[in-house]
Amino acid sequence: MFLALLELKAARGRFLLMGSVVVLVSALVGIVSGFTTGLGDDTVSALRRLPATHVAFASGSKSDQFARSLIDVRTADGWSRENGAEATPLGVTITRGTTGRGTEVDLAAFGIVPGAFTDPGADDGKPLDPARPHGIVVSRQLLSEGVHVGDTLLIDRLGIRLNVVGSTGRSSYGHVPAAYVTADTWRQIRFTTPGAHGAVAADLPLQYSAVALRLPDGTDDTAIAVADRRHDTTTVPLETAFTAAPGYDGERLTMTSIQTFLFLIAPLVVGAFFAVWTVQRTPELALLRAMGASRRRLLGHTLTQAAVVVATGTAVGAALAAALGLLVGEKVPFSLPAGTLATTMIAVALVGLAGSALTLRRVTTVDPMTMLGAGR
Amino acid sequence: MSLHLHDVTVTLGKGESRTTALRKLDVTFRPGVLTALVGPSGSGKSTLLAVAGALLRPDEGQVLLNGADLAALTDRERARARRERIGYMFQSGNLLTGLTAEEQLLAAASLAGRRPRALRPKVRALLDEVGLGHRLAHRPDQLSGGERQRVALARALLVEPELLLVDEPTAAVDRARADDLTALIARTTHEHRCVTVVATHDPVVTNAADTTVDMQTHAPAATA
Repeated sequence: MFLALLELKAARGRFLLMGSVVVLVSALVGIVSGFTTGLGDDTVSALRRLPATHVAFASGSKSDQFARSLIDVRTADGWSRENGAEATPLGVTITRGTTGRGTEVDLAAFGIVPGAFTDPGADDGKPLDPARPHGIVVSRQLLSEGVHVGDTLLIDRLGIRLNVVGSTGRSSYGHVPAAYVTADTWRQIRFTTPGAHGAVAADLPLQYSAVALRLPDGTDDTAIAVADRRHDTTTVPLETAFTAAPGYDGERLTMTSIQTFLFLIAPLVVGAFFAVWTVQRTPELALLRAMGASRRRLLGHTLTQAAVVVATGTAVGAALAAALGLLVGEKVPFSLPAGTLATTMIAVALVGLAGSALTLRRVTTVDPMTMLGAGR
Repeated sequence: MSLHLHDVTVTLGKGESRTTALRKLDVTFRPGVLTALVGPSGSGKSTLLAVAGALLRPDEGQVLLNGADLAALTDRERARARRERIGYMFQSGNLLTGLTAEEQLLAAASLAGRRPRALRPKVRALLDEVGLGHRLAHRPDQLSGGERQRVALARALLVEPELLLVDEPTAAVDRARADDLTALIARTTHEHRCVTVVATHDPVVTNAADTTVDMQTHAPAATA
């Protein structure tokens, strides 16, 4: 340990250079991780907030299901009669509205039945009320975009006026802030022909995007498949339904690919540095062996140096990534909870150490005989 | 206290390049005596140092350091013997890059399992003894060839070795410094009462030695 630290001090220029590379790689991994989580949240946080276990789509809808699937109200009723199941219609559509002050906002309208398990209630103001069908509860992002409780929101081109009755926590869908309306209001938004003002809910199809389900624990796939056949639906677990959100799969694939490459690059970079470092100091390692250092001691010596460089580098990288998160605030979809950051950085440190381990064989096989004339 | 190589045979290389470096060597080295190994390149001087220094295990024979056979030890035990009982001075000093003269000795202390901080006074005394008390904070690239060798000697003496092995100590230093260094090694051998074996081509070292061993005949070549 003493010697390892002495060497670190003596070769601080080289180790600082290597440490800087580890800092940059780990910061980049942290930042990508933050964007992965942030973009994921921005795409599906409204779905993640749903206290449902499964979502049933119309049979045959294979992608972008929330936009393509249409489910009859009788299907929702049928599902609710399944043994132990709770079922409620769910409408999801992206639209645009303008407040009385002229503030234009995009919003993902979630049509829910007030009082059902999908009803988010309201943190501020009042929850949706079936007696006041044109109410809307907006998520916090819409408040920061200039929508206030008490405002009237005019849905563009449809002429539907909604009263902002309350607000709820952060939730969004497809990078658009979520807002909650009654199922009837949602049908008006979804089925009204642009320009055809004055459509009443009773004249519109009794259809929704999907059925949100809360199935008893231990419900097996066979029972779900049987129910699906009965109701002509395709039911997936809630997490699988995330892929139905627009762009979710593509974003995940892109960000995960970047992360994967960074996790491959990190050990190679660290390994390459320690390989060069080991080759460069092979005579010194031979000297240490000749002076009586055991193989185990040399291993410990090398791993200590690698651990100091990698641990310090990842810690600074983590701090940089976290600082960036604080800096950007809510301006961009960036989310890096402490747990995710810690897990990511531990993974970076481990792959970094694995990279340095690539050189250990050379360290242990160094020949002390090379110190003598016969070996030179 | 002595080093006795008894019927030691060492072969090096494999296949057609296999050569016998030492054949049935039987020689004894005494404490407080500086012995120079003489002979042309390839006569086995460095191989003898390697065998005596527990760096190389002989094919046959015994390497008895104060009665204990180094050749019979496990790898781990031989490493321990090198740390605790044997001091080395390699060609050109072979110091650790970037460490100061004082740190070179502290690193050796750490390797030997001693607490470096506690040994600092001894480290300074040893560097003083070899005439480098004023160069404690100098790194190898700030020291001359002779000074590097002196640091290596002080480092070798730190563990109070029973056996001091020296490989071509004057190969990389000028004549004046070679004389000083040789005198220092001889004085150290006599004062520390260690068994000192020097492989050399340098007549100055040979002349300063108490005894010499001709590696071609394996016989004492001269006695001072």
